[in-house]
Amino acid sequence: MAATRGSSRRVFELFVSQIHWTLATKELRDYFAQFGTVRKCTLPFDKETGFHKGFCWIGFSSEEGLRNALQKESHILDGIKLQVQQQKRRSFRSQYTNEGETDMS
Amino acid sequence: MDYNCCLANRSLINKLPGQKTAPRMISHILCSLTAITGFCFLFSTHLIYQARLFAIAPHQKGKVQEEPVLSVQNKQAQHFDWALNKLDSSVRRTGRITRTLLLRIFHDMCRTGYPSSNQALLLLRSCGSLLPEVPLCERTELAHMIWGKLQDLGAVYDASHYNALLKVYLQNEHKFSPTEFLSKMEEANVQPNRVTYQRLIAAYCNEGDIEGASKILGFMKMKELPITEAVFSSLVTGHARTGDMENAENIFSVMRDAGIEPGPDTYLALLNAYAEKGDINSVKQILEKIEKMEGYLMDRDLLQVIYSLAKAGYPQYVPDILSQMRYERGYIPDAMNLSLNLITQGLEDTAFQVFKSFPTLPSENHSETSMDYGNFFLQHCVHMDKPLSKLKQFCDELKEANMHSSPLQFTLYCALESKKAALAINLMKTMKEEGLPLRPHYSWPLLVGYQKEKNVQGTIGVLKAMHELGVEPDVETYTNYVLTNFDDIQTFRALLQVSLNEQFFIYCYVMAQFCSCSLCRILIESISVILVECFLLFFSTEAVGYFLYNLIDSMSDSEVQAKEEHLRQYFHQLKKMNVVIPTNIYRGIRNLLAAYHVPELIKNTEVSALEEELEKLKAEKQPIGNVLKQLIVALCAEENMQKALEVKAKYEPDMVVGGYAALINLCCRHDNVEDAMNLKEEVFRKDSSVALDTNKYLALVKVLGKHGRLEDAINILKEIKEKDIPIKDTTVTSFFHILNAAAMRGEVETVNRLHESILTLGLAKPSTNLCTPLITVHLEKDDVPSALEATIDCYKKYGKMPRLHDILCRLIEQGNTELLQKAMDFVSQERGEMMMLYDIFFAFLNTGKYKEAKKIIETPGLRARPGSLQWFAEKCIATNQMETLENMVEMTQKLFECDRDEMYYYLLKLCKISNDWRKAEATWTKMQEENVIPRARTLRLLADTLKNNGQEVPFDVPEVIYVNALYMPLQCNVTSQLFFFILIVEAYNILLEAQKKDIMFPASAYSTLIKALLAEGCLEEALKVKNIAETHIKGFTLNDAASSLLIITQVRRDYLKDAISTLKKVLESDMVPMSLAVIRLIQALAMKGDLESICTVEKMVENLATSIGLSRMLFVNNTVLAHIKKPATDLFLQYVDAGRVDDARFLLQVIIYQERNSSTLLDLVPDFPDMKIVYSYLLKCHALDNDVVSAKTLFEKMKSENIHTDEIFLKRLAVLLKNAGEPVPFTEPPESFHFYVNKLTQERQEISSHAE
Repeated sequence: MAATRGSSRRVFELFVSQIHWTLATKELRDYFAQFGTVRKCTLPFDKETGFHKGFCWIGFSSEEGLRNALQKESHILDGIKLQVQQQKRRSFRSQYTNEGETDMS
Repeated sequence: MDYNCCLANRSLINKLPGQKTAPRMISHILCSLTAITGFCFLFSTHLIYQARLFAIAPHQKGKVQEEPVLSVQNKQAQHFDWALNKLDSSVRRTGRITRTLLLRIFHDMCRTGYPSSNQALLLLRSCGSLLPEVPLCERTELAHMIWGKLQDLGAVYDASHYNALLKVYLQNEHKFSPTEFLSKMEEANVQPNRVTYQRLIAAYCNEGDIEGASKILGFMKMKELPITEAVFSSLVTGHARTGDMENAENIFSVMRDAGIEPGPDTYLALLNAYAEKGDINSVKQILEKIEKMEGYLMDRDLLQVIYSLAKAGYPQYVPDILSQMRYERGYIPDAMNLSLNLITQGLEDTAFQVFKSFPTLPSENHSETSMDYGNFFLQHCVHMDKPLSKLKQFCDELKEANMHSSPLQFTLYCALESKKAALAINLMKTMKEEGLPLRPHYSWPLLVGYQKEKNVQGTIGVLKAMHELGVEPDVETYTNYVLTNFDDIQTFRALLQVSLNEQFFIYCYVMAQFCSCSLCRILIESISVILVECFLLFFSTEAVGYFLYNLIDSMSDSEVQAKEEHLRQYFHQLKKMNVVIPTNIYRGIRNLLAAYHVPELIKNTEVSALEEELEKLKAEKQPIGNVLKQLIVALCAEENMQKALEVKAKYEPDMVVGGYAALINLCCRHDNVEDAMNLKEEVFRKDSSVALDTNKYLALVKVLGKHGRLEDAINILKEIKEKDIPIKDTTVTSFFHILNAAAMRGEVETVNRLHESILTLGLAKPSTNLCTPLITVHLEKDDVPSALEATIDCYKKYGKMPRLHDILCRLIEQGNTELLQKAMDFVSQERGEMMMLYDIFFAFLNTGKYKEAKKIIETPGLRARPGSLQWFAEKCIATNQMETLENMVEMTQKLFECDRDEMYYYLLKLCKISNDWRKAEATWTKMQEENVIPRARTLRLLADTLKNNGQEVPFDVPEVIYVNALYMPLQCNVTSQLFFFILIVEAYNILLEAQKKDIMFPASAYSTLIKALLAEGCLEEALKVKNIAETHIKGFTLNDAASSLLIITQVRRDYLKDAISTLKKVLESDMVPMSLAVIRLIQALAMKGDLESICTVEKMVENLATSIGLSRMLFVNNTVLAHIKKPATDLFLQYVDAGRVDDARFLLQVIIYQERNSSTLLDLVPDFPDMKIVYSYLLKCHALDNDVVSAKTLFEKMKSENIHTDEIFLKRLAVLLKNAGEPVPFTEPPESFHFYVNKLTQERQEISSHAE
């Protein structure tokens, strides 16, 4: 029940897209950890193909982590640029909570 | 000559920004106006036909296809367009079609059941070089498979299909016996035509069988078929393949002797012949020769030479040809095509060379990487199972050349995507060796596949391999891909969602189509009278008026007389609908009808009666103002100016404004400017605040302008502005007519000043139309230089270039190259080179300067502008310029992205209008030669033209479905029901009429009409139509929607037995009724208390219930209702006995609500296993009734019986007591009521999920 917990503790989320297929949750989590403690990393995978869908949500435990990440001009992982933006609405995310989520909080 | 190299080098895409080649080029072309130079390839264009890769007619965006989607049969047409679109966009985007896409479309067609002949053609046509990714023999197998399957499904094959099959054979280098082919055609009773023979000759020649080719040639001569360039080209190939190059070269002089100048095709055949021999020097020489002759080969042709070199084993010469490429628009898809084809045929090294020659390499997947090139190449190599070493070599080269950032990863991606496990594992090994990271999720795509197949061995194999690579599966790998099974219901739901979206899409599509005017055009072609309703629906009453006027105007005398009754009814309907046609239009219509000798259609107003009344009133000294006005108006309507003026003079003091207005207008119409102005002054003297309406002012402006009273006219315009007279669209049209009339009189000053006043006063916005007279006035006086000045001026002032085409034509005719140059410079500068080229192209065409036109349209990089082409084509059609149109159609053959079907459609349209069936038939042959897939409407047009001339139609004519277009408003929930109704009645009548004449409509039309009638509740009429359809169309069944509506209507009429039998039929024919129909039926049965029938229906729809969204509760609920309607209430006990606790629970709830009678209930259910539930519902019931006493009693009863009261119960009771101001004798549960409801629901779900 991530939603109910989320309401008690704010999550500072990034929406990351244009993720290369070679990257998975671990790589993303490791990368974004440089900006702050990553509380969650949700990268939905397509169960039909076994490839992920190219976007994910990174949740920082502090606003600082989020800010740090947003301040960096470009995010390049494995030589490929990631599209990073602040997650505006949380409701959209909830439909993916069952897909490949690893909630480590 | 400088001129030649200029032409040879002209290209839009090679141009550097800012560099201007066009003016120079134009000036050269202009030279040729006077000194026509020999141009090698400009021979009779009838003879140039080249097999084209792109001949599938592209679908035009935003254009209407006439087939709306209403039923299965209709879907066929819709599907054709969809498939065409899909295939075409694939070709355009990627230069090819994939086998998957082709098969998907094929299977879709098979599923819909009735493949049409053009669908079949479309598929067959796609089995050749458009499938570069499929090995040659497989392509032919595919073609044969499709041929057979569609034939089984009832597709009818004609010459075009056989010709398409031949083309596929040629493209796939398929060896076959031409004589057998001919005899097969004969068996099928299909006549071979010119194209058939040409292709058979090509087949013989490809085998080097000159003798065989000569035999066919003999047939052609016997049948007096023209020997075209294609035949000679084949002969070049034929001789070359026998090794006789001398004779191959000789063909050129034979051609010239036959009066045919060798064109690109013949030269290409020779080039290929030398290429096959590895004679690169001859190839180069020929290319130089072509260059010198001002001709040029397209990149596409050169790519073929590369193919020949590679296939014959001379890849070393490929760079020589690659260096000659111009990189025309479309080069990349063509080159990709070649590259893929070479890979397929095991020539991947040459393919790689071709790929590396791409000028601006396309990035195929922007979202992934912006700089990676060659994905298509690597992907196809993977699909073709190229060895790992080859793949690695390409990857290394791509990496070194900085063309791809991660080629190995991409190759792995392809291997994973196509589930090539062994290759994927080997690639991963390579990656590991190269120090690239390997990750657990790389195994997922493979595991997903094995998971689906439940292939345990495969799964374990992957895990082992990963282990060997040092990659251990993580938790997710295990939980998601190894240990689980996938859920079937989810897949199903996903599918369901797709179909819903599709419906929505179709709905939007239909709406969009209807709202576009193009559809109306189709309607005009079909049943024009009905169009009026449509107009009314979407436009204004004014539009109806104009439409009627134009309609009547366009009808012939006899037609009007024949349709008199129809029109009368029609006017009557309009009157009933309260449609008022504006007086001026009314007058126009009346005049027309009078001219047609049917004046009685519109009644005269009675002047004499009014006169009498006026006299009477006058005598009685009563006010006459009103009657006087009526009389004046009546006289005006009769156009009796003399009398009207007399009446006015006689009763001047009693004249009111309305009378003056009518009279002024009358005088204007009768060109009586003096009286008109006097009347105007007179009325203004009476009341200076008086304003006339717009039309009267306009009439004054017009007549003043005509009489040279320019200042007065301008003053009127000023008055319009000052008095804030409303300006409508029609006002602007009137401005145009006023200006145009002055232009026709050649009055430059009048035109200019009036135009300027209109614009400066802000009465109208500048538009092309309004500006046109500014130019017309000069053209009328044949003063072309001034006209050009005027149009340039117009552009500067208003951004419009009216009548440019006419000016250009005049300049060309006059040979005024200097001014023409000026005009072109201007257009080029202002609207771009592309527009300029089109403008000059059309002008050359229009003036019969075809050679020049051809040069223009062959400008490399020029692409089709459908709008411009349509404009010109329609101009040709309207003015019956067959030759011009034919030339345009031919010249645009190689134009990039030119919709060939559209072009031929224009041509056939003109053939139909001029009733030239021979030309129409020749056009069809040409379409086959060019491999164009005709759309249904094109075939219909052709069939019509042939039929009208008593000719046999040599192909299967697609069903006429315009009737559906007519009923489209029924689908759109737009405005007034009344109009729909009229449409339906009209359609019904048409159908009955048609039936009498034995004219049949497609099944879909009947379904649609039945549906429409049912929607209006016309059951009897609907059944009649249904009967007609059933007797005429074998196996006619109503479609799902129509049947559903029938059920609903039957229910409404209380014909429940009929409704049930309709439902039964629907289900028996495997159709799906709408849930609403079932619901209505069940409800009606419940009201009748007909338990048995409810039961029957429930059984009938048992399997469908979930898929059409019928809740099981529908049946339970209504069964209950039926019980209530009946005295017996034993169902509950039946449920309990049968252990259907949920049903029982629900029933209980319903009974309680319905009866609100607890005692009966409790008597009824003494032994119910869970009394707690009964009590909960009872409490709910008491709470609803606010019955505190009963609630309290119930609570006591429960306590005494020791029944546990849950939180919901207590909360509900507490709320009830508190509201009634009573004390709560227990601890009230603290959370909200909903909290407990949710809690209970969750608990129940958990229980049920555990149970599962």
